[in-house]
Amino acid sequence: MHTLDLLIIIGYLLLIVFVGLRLSGKVNNAHDFFLAGRSLAWWVIGLSIIGTNIGADSYIGAAGNAYNVGIAQANFEWIGAIPAMILASLVFIPLYWKAGVYSIAEYMGLRYSQAVRVLAAAITVVVAIFAIGVALWAIALTLQTYLGWPIWLGIMVTGTVVGLYSVAGGLAAVAFTDTLQVIIMFLGGLIIVGLGISQTGGMTSFAETLIAENPTHLQAYLPADHEGFPWPAVILGLGVVLSPAYWCAGQAILQRSLGARSQWDASAGMMFAALGKSFVPLLVVFPGLLALVMHANLEYPDMALPWVIKNVLPPGISGLMFIAIIAALQSTIDSGINSTSLLITRDIRHVLMPNANRDNDLKIGRYLTIGILLLAMCIAPLISNMGGIYSFIQTMLSLFQGPMLALLLLGAFTRRATPTAGLFTLLTGVPLAAVIMASGVNMLYVAFTSFVYALAALWIVSGFTAPSTQDLSKLTYFPWLSRTTPGAPAAAEPQAPTGEPRP
Amino acid sequence: MNDLFAFISDPDRLPVIWANYVSIGAFVVLAILVWLIPRRLIFADAKDQAAWRDIRWWATALIALQLTIYATFN
Repeated sequence: MHTLDLLIIIGYLLLIVFVGLRLSGKVNNAHDFFLAGRSLAWWVIGLSIIGTNIGADSYIGAAGNAYNVGIAQANFEWIGAIPAMILASLVFIPLYWKAGVYSIAEYMGLRYSQAVRVLAAAITVVVAIFAIGVALWAIALTLQTYLGWPIWLGIMVTGTVVGLYSVAGGLAAVAFTDTLQVIIMFLGGLIIVGLGISQTGGMTSFAETLIAENPTHLQAYLPADHEGFPWPAVILGLGVVLSPAYWCAGQAILQRSLGARSQWDASAGMMFAALGKSFVPLLVVFPGLLALVMHANLEYPDMALPWVIKNVLPPGISGLMFIAIIAALQSTIDSGINSTSLLITRDIRHVLMPNANRDNDLKIGRYLTIGILLLAMCIAPLISNMGGIYSFIQTMLSLFQGPMLALLLLGAFTRRATPTAGLFTLLTGVPLAAVIMASGVNMLYVAFTSFVYALAALWIVSGFTAPSTQDLSKLTYFPWLSRTTPGAPAAAEPQAPTGEPRP
Repeated sequence: MNDLFAFISDPDRLPVIWANYVSIGAFVVLAILVWLIPRRLIFADAKDQAAWRDIRWWATALIALQLTIYATFN
């Protein structure tokens, strides 16, 4: 590695630790630690959401998939994200804000029951810890490839750096470092696009070469009988179920929205993230297409991005791009440990130990942040021996996201859904999804089928079980009802979270 | 159930161009729904009611971009 590259990497690592330690002085209680004292501006939220979203699979895996299937991979950033992000921005974020909750599990607890809250939190925590382990492993692998570091050293250094700023500065440090990381990602990505197009003789020449050799690589969708991404499965499974479940109910994503300085900033932050998300394919899909046009002849598709960095970028810039990959993975880890720590501290501990002293939340949140990070660091080296672990995480997500989304949608848009029906649907929907998956059906179809089942089960069982005793006016969304209609929500007046100050 | 999945996996019954039509239709419906949301909810606790703060316009720009993408890459 060139000395200039190394200096840029060291400078970046020192900068993010400095930012985290600077922000630690502003963390006085759990409210500051988990929700940044509700101080985040819309542009910080937007960039931080993008940073959290772009992970190990996005950067390296998406470029590899694009090398194989072409621009259809970008559906994960377009139809598989944008409609759900608009829905989250205009409907769900105002709803959560109005309910005054810290987490989506807490909203589920208010809308349904504490059992649903704990179950939802527990599932999220387990998946998140494995996802953090995968991200740590991916960083260590990248450090080994570029710097020759042993895997254990990469995991230790990454864990220490992320731990320092996450434990010290909480969500504020996570959001601000994410912002910095996303700016670096876009900068590196745009330089690759510029240099790549220049080296292939311009945009027209690039497109002509690509289509001549790979006729379907500029088609947004692949045929209905495609093995990996058949278009009906992409629209039904990804667009209708997995994407709304991720963007409207994903704790790591929405936590920075709940830390906004106002409801408007929270909604605008998500919409700003959606604008940025539209251009993410330039960062994660274009390198795969570029490697194809430049005839990289790769042994494995996942080598597309490293090949582009090595063959297209000059010294200094390749260091910047290396940081962009590390940054993408770090932002996944920091957001994951902060949100997981919140779920255990509040949604599991407060429910299972109702007499626990809540003044200790900050201390417990920090200990948990360290504990979760250490656990993920222990899991990370095992990833190589558990080859299918990433597939396992994706499978887990497709198993429970259908039922979770059904609970969220019927909970938010109707008053019919009852606590008993919610728990029944969650407890039966996930095993049903597992049975369908065992029959060899595409993962995206499994998500859609379990979603349809969960909607039907929740609707039917709610018909003969006791309704919620909660005041549902702040937990449901009926914007078109008059402000004076009895029982209707009070025109989205933001409410302070229970027992917490609002600036 | 497998028969159903076999049916929707038949490229002759479901040509790939339909996917672009479905996407474009979905975004048009979404644009209409966005503008049905009352203005008072959009501005809720915003500092002021400047036109640029109306995020329904942001959503419209975003949807227009998506319509262009799915009309182009087919």
